[in-house]
Amino acid sequence: MKKASKIFTALMFLFLFAPLVILLVFSFNEARSLSVFSGFSLKWYRELFRDTETLKAVRNTLVLAVCAAGVSTVMGTAAAVGIHRMRSKYLRSALDMVTNIPMINPDIITGISMMLMFVFASRLLGLANSLSFITLLIAHITFCLPYVILQVLPKLRQMDASLPEAAMDLGCTPWGAFWKVELPEIMPAIVTGLIMAFTLSLDDFVISYFTTGTGFQTLPIRIYNMTKKTVTPDMYALATIIFFVILALLLLSNLTDSEDSQKLRAARRAKRAASGRPPMDPRRRRILYACGGSLAVIAVVAAVVFAVTETDNKPQVLNVYNWGEYISDGSEGSMDVVKEFAAWYEEEYGRPVQVNYETFASNEDMYAKLSKNAISYDVIIPSDYMIARMIDEDMLLPLDFDNIPNYQYVDEDFRGLYYDPEDMYSVPYAYGIVGVIYNANVVDEADTGGWDLMWNEKYAGQVLQFNNSRDAFGTAMYRAGIDVNTTDRSQWDLALESLLEQRRSGVVRSYVMDEVYNMMESGEGAIAAYYAGDYFTMLDAQAEGVDLRFYYPERTNFYIDAMCIPSCCQNKELAEIFINYMLSKEPAIANAEYTYYASPNRLVYEDPDYIEEMGEEAMAILYPDWGDFAEKYNTYAYRNLDNDLLDYINSLWETLKIN
Amino acid sequence: MDKIIELKNITKSFDGEVVLDNISLDIYDNEFITLLGPSGCGKTTTLRLIGGFETPDSGDVLFMGQRINDVPPHKRNVNTVFQRYALFPHLNVFENVAFPLRERKVPRDEIETRVEEMLAMVALKGFEHRAVTSLSGGQQQRVAIARALVGKPRVLLLDEPLAALDLKLRKDMQQELKNIQKATGITFVFVTHDQEEALSMSDTIVVMSEGRIQQIGSSQDVYNEPQNAFVADFIGESNIVDGVMLADRSVSFSGHVFDCVDGGFGKNEPVDVVVRPEDVDIVPEGQGQLSGVVTSVTFMGVHYEVIVDIGGFKWMIQTTDFVGVDAHIGLVIEPDAIHIMKKSEYSGLYGDYASFSNEFDELSDAESEGSE
Repeated sequence: MKKASKIFTALMFLFLFAPLVILLVFSFNEARSLSVFSGFSLKWYRELFRDTETLKAVRNTLVLAVCAAGVSTVMGTAAAVGIHRMRSKYLRSALDMVTNIPMINPDIITGISMMLMFVFASRLLGLANSLSFITLLIAHITFCLPYVILQVLPKLRQMDASLPEAAMDLGCTPWGAFWKVELPEIMPAIVTGLIMAFTLSLDDFVISYFTTGTGFQTLPIRIYNMTKKTVTPDMYALATIIFFVILALLLLSNLTDSEDSQKLRAARRAKRAASGRPPMDPRRRRILYACGGSLAVIAVVAAVVFAVTETDNKPQVLNVYNWGEYISDGSEGSMDVVKEFAAWYEEEYGRPVQVNYETFASNEDMYAKLSKNAISYDVIIPSDYMIARMIDEDMLLPLDFDNIPNYQYVDEDFRGLYYDPEDMYSVPYAYGIVGVIYNANVVDEADTGGWDLMWNEKYAGQVLQFNNSRDAFGTAMYRAGIDVNTTDRSQWDLALESLLEQRRSGVVRSYVMDEVYNMMESGEGAIAAYYAGDYFTMLDAQAEGVDLRFYYPERTNFYIDAMCIPSCCQNKELAEIFINYMLSKEPAIANAEYTYYASPNRLVYEDPDYIEEMGEEAMAILYPDWGDFAEKYNTYAYRNLDNDLLDYINSLWETLKIN
Repeated sequence: MDKIIELKNITKSFDGEVVLDNISLDIYDNEFITLLGPSGCGKTTTLRLIGGFETPDSGDVLFMGQRINDVPPHKRNVNTVFQRYALFPHLNVFENVAFPLRERKVPRDEIETRVEEMLAMVALKGFEHRAVTSLSGGQQQRVAIARALVGKPRVLLLDEPLAALDLKLRKDMQQELKNIQKATGITFVFVTHDQEEALSMSDTIVVMSEGRIQQIGSSQDVYNEPQNAFVADFIGESNIVDGVMLADRSVSFSGHVFDCVDGGFGKNEPVDVVVRPEDVDIVPEGQGQLSGVVTSVTFMGVHYEVIVDIGGFKWMIQTTDFVGVDAHIGLVIEPDAIHIMKKSEYSGLYGDYASFSNEFDELSDAESEGSE
């Protein structure tokens, strides 16, 4: 029995702390992979401190947390004192309950309701941008407040009610009595409240996501948006640092709270007796230590971050909204495109510019934010089908190509495509083509070439299929030669049959999204369909004994992401200058090298240095000879389907997953 | 002697409940005055009115002739020792005592000497740097007194300051408080529900009940000459029986006519007769003015407490002679042991020991201490 409970305890701790240990270990991994530990290295910590966008997000998060914690602590303490002094018992308990409601309210509801309120209020006031740092701050203060009140109010109730009376009796004004007697008495609770508010604000994602505006991205939002590619290991390093900072704060706040700890008290008494000198009042000292310690921790972190990022308050503002990890950001010795643009612009035009670069995780996220008119951006980089939809809904502005002379370098193949047939709204940024990745140590070369490989029963339990309906159905439809944009439901039924067959035959190991990286790198799966650019990411991290290769089947999906200017743009000319800059040689090459996706820009793919850097093999994969690219693209690329059909496809998908 | 505080026709109620009902009271300079009464009688409220923590609904509070109804506590030359001391936990002993001086911006050196002086007076020298939370109840009490006196107030208000101390310590502190009061010459207004404490310490006792003052007088006055049945019962033990005044110095009760020393009542006026238990002598049956049957005997140390049934009314008698239960005895009461009171609203409520037991008494005592 005793043994069993010990084992149980050990398991519990394993369960609680295993994820943290793994995070910590892999933050020191030499390689990018999560499956192979290839040696101890501080590389990712170095990378982290070079990643200006992330550090800026850290700085934003800290600024927000300090402001929110400070304001909510002052307001919460005032509110607690106010509630405590109420004469009516009923009013007091009613208020008590009302302040508790936001705490039990789900974050998502708080977030959405706040966003609606801010949008509504700004419409009422006629403001252009309804969401901003201020709204984010208000939201954070709102959700921190109840926690501060919850800390302070019980402490006030515990306090001897005659303390403030005694102070007044001895010559204090009521205000003086509060400062000199009540406040020191409830200070431990205030400090605990402050630390709680700080940590709550620091790690909030859901509410921030709904209420933040342009120019202010917090760390949790940035990490979430990194999912276009995988989360980079410098995030493990950052998470490890944050974990230890929070741990330090927690220990400090426990120190303020351990008033009843007999052990501490006994130890203190012994120490006092031993030293023989009259020490400072221990309570006071503990509070001082805790306050000082918390402030020191926060200050050190803030100082480091502020030292690395520089503050720039410049009048010209450009808001860019892009996929996460989709621009060369200065990490691993690459070019920091955003920073370089600002420098170039200032030199060229003699005026400074502040670029707020923010990221989104999916086209749908971006669309939702823009369609609410909640925020305004100047440049966005959506995918093809989303561009078609936004043009349809008048959400994009026609571009003035006089300001974008570098458009001439965009390959003729990328003109007149279905999503923007007259080339009025978009400038292609990058494109990708889906191919099949396989482990050459497992798969017979003779079996490769088409979609059939993913159905080949020779490789039972080795195939990774997409875990989203559109892409999974796509593989079956390309294989069978069905139009992937057909509105004929019987064709979709046929594709389902094919997927069911694939599943029943046992070739599918699992249905995956981002896990595909780790499973392919480690050799756990041998066959998967994915984008060429992502193949290179996997290649970099493949484990020993894995030999990943890539080919394009004849019919396959293409996507193009293009730069556009949304109708909420505040500075169209500046936006066009930015787009033009992105097309110029250096940044375009830097981006292509950073993202590993193919560039439609001749300045890139015809550049000898770029070709050399990428290698012949990679060039062949990224830029295959398709003959008439436009025709292929217009025939095979996914387009927007109407909602009825999407519902139907989803119901078929459910059938597959249930079987 | 000068009046230092005057309360004039003060009425105060909380949530519609009258706590003080038209109270008038004069407090003289340099006296030790005690507000005595059971919990809920309004004595603490009276104290808080003087301290400035409450304002009267009607009536006036005068301090040296000046109306101070609306003067806030920090501007009154009056300090309070709170029931649970209300020491500031974040300050050490020295800083607690120095607090009022720092508030008044007294020079540093002077603070030092005055605090030391005060700590010496309350025998806490050497405790300057101790945390107040590390002190015993009695030590905390003394810090509170030192803190309240260091500013040299004209009046010190003490709200049941000894209630939380154990018996032995309480006796010592009573003596100490009395000495401090004599030494400093400051007027003490002391609130307690403990009649023994009141009798032993006070120059003047104000007996209160149900928001009204029942009697004001010296310890001897309120004990020997209680004004009504409430006072007689609340202070010490009393047998209170119905009687009829036959003439001056002649009263009839319990079926017998007694000589007494009081006069000035109407002929055949119904009165309350008070006889203290220690003033009744036991004699053999048939030789006394009254006779009865002993129903219980309790040994109290210095004396026995004997309950005697006389014609259905239970008397308490304190005697040093032992009598057995069920013994038939005679009783003698001297004329000067008989105190005659006018009938009041309290008549018939007190003075019968039919339901008396020591246990019961202690229970109700504990209850009133806790709820004040």
